[in-house]
Amino acid sequence: MTVVGADPMAESAPEQTGVADGAKRASGPDPWYKIIWSSKKARVGLIVLAIYILVAIFAPLIAPYPPQQNTFTPLLNASWSHPLGTNTGGQDVFSQLVYGSRVSLLVGVLGGTLATAIALVIGLISGYTEGTIVDDVLSFLTNVALVIPVLPLIITLVAYSNVRGIGLIVGVIAITSWAGAARAKRAQIITLRNRDFVTAAKFSGEGPWRIVFFEIMPNMTSLVAAAFVGAATGAIGAEAGLAVLGLGSNDSVSWGTILYQADAAGAISQGLFAWVFVPGLVLAVLITAMSFINFGVDLLSNPHLREG
Amino acid sequence: MTATVTTTDRAATGGPLLSVERLSVRYEPKRHAPTEAVSDVSFEIRPGEFIGLIGESGSGKTTLGTALLRLLERPGRISAGRIVFDGTDITDLPEDDLRGMRWTEISTVFQSSMNSLNPVLRVDEQFRDVIEYHTRRRGQQVSDRIDTLFDMVLIDRRFQRSYPHELSGGMRQRINLALALAIEPRFVLLDEPTTGLDVVVQKSILDNIRRLQAELGFAVLFISHDIGTVLDLSDRILVMYGGRIVEQQRARDLLADPLHPYTKGLLGSYGDPRAETVTITYVPGRPPDLTAGYTGCAFAPRCPEAIAGCRSVEPPLLRLGEHGGEAACHVAALQRGQGERSGVGTEEVGPVVRGFAGPQFVKTAEDERSLHDREVLLSVDAVSKTYLRRRGLGTTRTEAVRDASFVLRKGAVTALVGQSGSGKSTLARMITGVESPSTGSVTFHGEQGSFAVGSRRGRSLRDYRSHVQMVFQDPYSALNPTKTLGYILSRPLANYRGLRGAEARRAVLELLETVALTPAERYIDRFGYELSGGQRQRVVIARALAVEPELIIADEPIASLDVSIRAEILELLNSLVRDRGVTILYITHDLLSARMIADDVVVLNQGRVVEQGPALEVIRNPQDDYTRLLLDAVPNPTAG
Amino acid sequence: MKYFLRKVGFFVLTLWAVVTLNFFIPRLQPGDPAELMVQKLAGKNAQLNPAQVAAIRDMLGTPTGSLWSQYWQYLGQLAHGNFGVSYTYFPFGVMQVIGQAFWWTVILVTIVQVLSFGIGVLLGAFAAWKRNGRFDTAVTLVSTFVGTLQPFWIALLLIYGLGYGLGWFATSGGYEDSTPGFNWGFVYDAISHGFLPALTLMIVTPVGWVLGMRNTMVLNLGEDYVRLAKAKGLPDKVVALRYAARNALLPSVTGFALALGGVLGGTILVETVFDYPGLGRLMGEAVGYKDYPMLQALMLLTAVATLLANLVADLLYGVLDPRARRAQA
Repeated sequence: MTVVGADPMAESAPEQTGVADGAKRASGPDPWYKIIWSSKKARVGLIVLAIYILVAIFAPLIAPYPPQQNTFTPLLNASWSHPLGTNTGGQDVFSQLVYGSRVSLLVGVLGGTLATAIALVIGLISGYTEGTIVDDVLSFLTNVALVIPVLPLIITLVAYSNVRGIGLIVGVIAITSWAGAARAKRAQIITLRNRDFVTAAKFSGEGPWRIVFFEIMPNMTSLVAAAFVGAATGAIGAEAGLAVLGLGSNDSVSWGTILYQADAAGAISQGLFAWVFVPGLVLAVLITAMSFINFGVDLLSNPHLREG
Repeated sequence: MTATVTTTDRAATGGPLLSVERLSVRYEPKRHAPTEAVSDVSFEIRPGEFIGLIGESGSGKTTLGTALLRLLERPGRISAGRIVFDGTDITDLPEDDLRGMRWTEISTVFQSSMNSLNPVLRVDEQFRDVIEYHTRRRGQQVSDRIDTLFDMVLIDRRFQRSYPHELSGGMRQRINLALALAIEPRFVLLDEPTTGLDVVVQKSILDNIRRLQAELGFAVLFISHDIGTVLDLSDRILVMYGGRIVEQQRARDLLADPLHPYTKGLLGSYGDPRAETVTITYVPGRPPDLTAGYTGCAFAPRCPEAIAGCRSVEPPLLRLGEHGGEAACHVAALQRGQGERSGVGTEEVGPVVRGFAGPQFVKTAEDERSLHDREVLLSVDAVSKTYLRRRGLGTTRTEAVRDASFVLRKGAVTALVGQSGSGKSTLARMITGVESPSTGSVTFHGEQGSFAVGSRRGRSLRDYRSHVQMVFQDPYSALNPTKTLGYILSRPLANYRGLRGAEARRAVLELLETVALTPAERYIDRFGYELSGGQRQRVVIARALAVEPELIIADEPIASLDVSIRAEILELLNSLVRDRGVTILYITHDLLSARMIADDVVVLNQGRVVEQGPALEVIRNPQDDYTRLLLDAVPNPTAG
Repeated sequence: MKYFLRKVGFFVLTLWAVVTLNFFIPRLQPGDPAELMVQKLAGKNAQLNPAQVAAIRDMLGTPTGSLWSQYWQYLGQLAHGNFGVSYTYFPFGVMQVIGQAFWWTVILVTIVQVLSFGIGVLLGAFAAWKRNGRFDTAVTLVSTFVGTLQPFWIALLLIYGLGYGLGWFATSGGYEDSTPGFNWGFVYDAISHGFLPALTLMIVTPVGWVLGMRNTMVLNLGEDYVRLAKAKGLPDKVVALRYAARNALLPSVTGFALALGGVLGGTILVETVFDYPGLGRLMGEAVGYKDYPMLQALMLLTAVATLLANLVADLLYGVLDPRARRAQA
């Protein structure tokens, strides 16, 4: 495929006897951070994410009260002393919101990392051993995991467990949501594996592990980054969904928990609008920021999206 | 056609069908420096004329073609000049007005990327679309027309109901040709229509084009990187370099008296493999980086005839030839007393030379060595390879190689010649130990005694590779883009020779010197994508040399390089044989390169060895029809 | 033919894997379901009466014996459509309860899914055709933001705005003042109750199609066959639809099926918020009351529905893309 217009030097570069000596190739790829930063959306996303991270780090300085302090009048409407009102248990909702950013970001980072790691291992092994029984089994596993509806499975798994810490929630989210990324990595390693430089590495005496992790993996960084951002985004959303169903972690308050409490207390019929509106908005803005970052990351793996 | 008519009626004046006036095309990407891919290009095409447009990668030829078709997309745009088709200025013609001219007047066949046909529509539907939109034909009339078109390109009518993926590359490209002629356009742009196809298929499609053009009388602009394929088809040739037209001449004048040194370089890369002495030249260096800009002549850094003025004054395209041939070259202008008009006054230049004055690679009949007393390094004995593939309940057998026998002698180059599908890659895989023969044996006679190669795995395959290394076809895919040259070359040194640290670095520098990438320090920390194609292929060769192998398998090592630099790599391989005594198995489809470098030739057709013997003997006196077919397919502009 | 056989084979194997998974998940949990049920009926701190537990166990048909024989019993029960007794709706069987909720969700999801797909694909294709124009930028930005909104949150906002604020639509339940059946009163009632849940889902679900279609279509527009179609002078509509969109649609067809699982997941939260009498609310309830047989049956049902949709999509793909039949066979 040649996209004329995307690349001035996209001259004839056919498979067999063509010529391929363009100035574009000679100038080499831009560093990844430049490409990501070149996207306006990614810039906005990164700045917003940075603000969230700062809030999470400095939560004790920003929140007016400790999140567990339950000495206020319950169900107060928003006011200067309680910007988002108080909940049924007499806790300050704004303080809970500020501390809640820690839960969401933690779930995002841990869930994203774990899911990406699983996807990476399964995808790489499956792809590199393509055509063997190992690949058949792993591919089948991936396909099964892909067609099982994630949220019902997460709910079922979490519902069956008696102790619900962040660890369990992150774990369950990770083991249910790696499949799509694993399939993408398998596909990519299959195309990379047949590139001449991999054959050349074999001729240079490299072993399979070194080939997978030193020769092939560095060529997949953009895909891994995109998968990580995607998985982190999914994890944050899934945690919120669980919490809304009352399946959140029992040892910390997340934004989903706040919404769950608001719904249970009938916040809407009582006109406590801020209690419902702000946590959902805060969540949506975070996830939007991460999606925006992924626009930038997509540019890495898909050069055709970069220009006009 | 509702647009304003800017030129008088063609019929009245006998004027050009297409005229391009001072056309420039710029790419203005957001994050990169703008590039002028086509600069100030002017030419005309008369009705029924066959024009060849030659240029290597990055020369702007495809961009020019795209601009003529008005298919440029952002960030590319026509920044200056105009395109006039049959009196109508189409440079800025709105798409709605242009639509009526598309295909009825101007049609095209794209590069044979095999992707020009919609994969989800049957072939006949893609004809029907365009015929019904542009003509009044309906129903049976359309079918009749499609039948006629299929007959014209010699394809059985039953393939009309096929999907594109069910057809071979050659068939698809013929169908694209038929599609281009569907509404009997007056102008057809052919953009590398046969690149990537097998030489024999290529030749038959070119013959088809030539015949149809003679019968139907449409005008053609044939874009190609390979002057050999178009020279005898074309009335006139345009040569592009660095976004400019550097020479424009009637084909036979260009052959007899090429004006521009670059044209001489292109012509010099061909030769007649049957000749007593074959000389081919190459153009060292790399094409200009158009983003960086340059002063003077873009070709000057690579030009053996360049004078001082070439580096400061940009040469204009001047009429210099006897029959109206034009060139943009100060030297050519000075030699013909046109220095003033060219802008370099009266600088001293040498006499006119017809050939390229740069480096050359000569092979004479005397160079042929007698090798039959040499020891055998590897022998292939009655080897067959059959692939069984399960399909549903049954299995299909593919006999990739049948009963092949030949030997590779120490310190000699053996060329394995054949088209794709001839079994040469399968043989290469068996020789490198990746696969084992179904019957017969491959035996390696190394320093530690003889052993059967067979199918090797793990450690044993690794050990074998300290004797046998490979050079790949596409140097772009053979170098890991995330690694420096230093890293890439150090790996085999570490794995096979246990060299690390300063010792390894010294060895890497030495390797770079061996393949003439000097000064080596400048290259060791570079990445592959920073090099030109020829330089990359040198790195690939250096890597193969790192383990000091006895045998190197070079799989079409020049096929994906620009024509003008191919001989450079051949010469390097040749010098390795002479200086280091390494044995080479040279796999190719091209008998000219086989003649240049090989001592022995083995011709392979459909898995069988049809002919083998000393290179000169096989090439000058072929016994098999297939060998003759391959010889005929070698483009040879010099013979004309 | 082989393509189709292969796909059916994968369907059967996956079905088996899902069924087996469903068998093992509850068994990872410590404790005996019969004990749990008695505990539930008797209250948290009551002493367990072993006779009662045994009686319940008999009644629930709780399998005993080795894991292997339990597995066979379980498969046998599934074959007869027997999913046991619901803890929450005791003494009703799980299948009875599900049967009542089934159509509420199926109708809701089908309407939402089909509309979303149509709207999303059209918007995406159009945005790609006019890429980098104002329309494209607006569609991309809005989709990205809306796609990140949590369905339950939208549901709450809609209840606040359209339900309480304006009072246009009912905010909970599936019907109120009518008798279920094919009568005008009921249909109107059901639509007015179903509108907000449907609207909630309709805000979120098209987004995936919009962005997915846009990106594939942008890539397709660069393909040679699309450029050639333009060079042929074919009208924009033909180039966009017959050449670019027709090819760009192919990945979305597979996506359509996979997304069904996502939509069913989304209904859990939305139905819970709206108290809509469908499968999603049942699942929410089952979670709250630890109604494991119900949870298990719903999980299985969702998975089978997704699998079936996936099979249909795969078969359809084989029809739509001539290459698939051969290449992947």
